[in-house]
Amino acid sequence: MSSTPTSNETFRLVSEVLQKEFGFRDDEIRPETHLIDDLDLDSIDAIDLAVRIEERTGICFRDEELKAIRTVRDVVELLDGRS
Amino acid sequence: MILRAWHCVASAAAFALFGLGGVLLPICVFPVLRLLPGSREQRELRCQRAVHWCFRTYLAILEAMGVIRLQVVGGEALRQPGQLVVSNHPTLLDVVFLISLMPQADCVAKQATWSNPFMRGVVTATGYLSNDLGGDLVDVCAERLASGRSLLLFPEGTRSPKGGLGPFQRGAVHVALRGQRPLRTVLLTCSPPALDRGRRWYQMPTQRLVITVDARSTLDPADLLEPGMSRGVAARKVSATLRDFYAKKLQNLDL
Repeated sequence: MSSTPTSNETFRLVSEVLQKEFGFRDDEIRPETHLIDDLDLDSIDAIDLAVRIEERTGICFRDEELKAIRTVRDVVELLDGRS
Repeated sequence: MILRAWHCVASAAAFALFGLGGVLLPICVFPVLRLLPGSREQRELRCQRAVHWCFRTYLAILEAMGVIRLQVVGGEALRQPGQLVVSNHPTLLDVVFLISLMPQADCVAKQATWSNPFMRGVVTATGYLSNDLGGDLVDVCAERLASGRSLLLFPEGTRSPKGGLGPFQRGAVHVALRGQRPLRTVLLTCSPPALDRGRRWYQMPTQRLVITVDARSTLDPADLLEPGMSRGVAARKVSATLRDFYAKKLQNLDL
C-alpha cells in the first residue's frame, strides 16, 4: 500500500466496506489480502463490493477493471487512480 | 474374478449406453419434440421430461444388470414444482439419480459441456444454464424458480472428495436468498464408494452399488436471517449452516 494520506483513507474505506458487507474483522484485511484466496469472495460478492464502493465514492468500476482486481491493494490503487 | 469381470463389462456397457443416449436424444427425440406446438419454454420443459424418462429407463437397466440399487426416501418432494434442490455430489452419476426423480429440473452445467459432442445437444434443447453467466446466473435461476420451475444445484460445484465434502460455493444460497425459497437438502450416498473423484469408471467394486437418496430435509434461509444483515453476510451464514448439515449427516453415516 502506498503511504500517501489519500491511500490510507481509501484503504480504510475499502476495509470498512469489506467488514460491513461480508462480516470480516479489521485484522483480517491488509493491503496484500487476496480477495478470493484469503477472503473467499466470489463473483456475486465482487459485484456487491463494487456497488457499495460506488455508493460511498461515486466511482463506478468497469467490468474489465473488476475482473482484474486481485487484492485489497488493487482496489485502493484503482480508486486512487480514478479520484 | 468372474464377478469383477462382469461388473467391469456391465459398467462399460452402462457408460456406452449413456454416451449413445446423449447422441441419440438430440438426433431422434428432440427434433420431434421441437416440432410439436408451443413456446420455447414449453419445448424446453418437454425435452427435460424426455431426459427424466431416459434417466429413469437408464437406471432401471442398471438395476436389472445388477450394477446399482437405488433407495429413495422422501422422493415425492422432488416431484413438486418450484423446488430449489441442492445435493452433495459423491458420484459421477448424481445428476442422473436426481433427474430420474424430478420430472422437471433446470440444471447449471460447466460451459465446457456445450463443447462436448455427447452432451451439447441435451444441454441446448433442455435450456440448462451455463456456469459462465457470472452474477446474472443468480437472477436467471431466481426467475425460473419464480415461474414455478425446479432447479437442481450442487453447492460443491464438482464431485465431493473421497468420503467427504468439498468447499461450498454460495451460488445456490444466493438463489435461495434472492428467490426467498427454502433449499431442499438432498443427501446422496453410494456404498461401497465408486464413481467418485479420483477413481476411474472401470474401477468398480465387485458388489452392487447401493445408492441412497434422502430428500426429506429442507433448510429455510429465512430462519437464519437477522434484521439489517447484508447479502454477503447472509450468504456466508446460510452456506456455512448448509455445509454443517451435510458434514454432520455424512459423519453420522461414517462412510
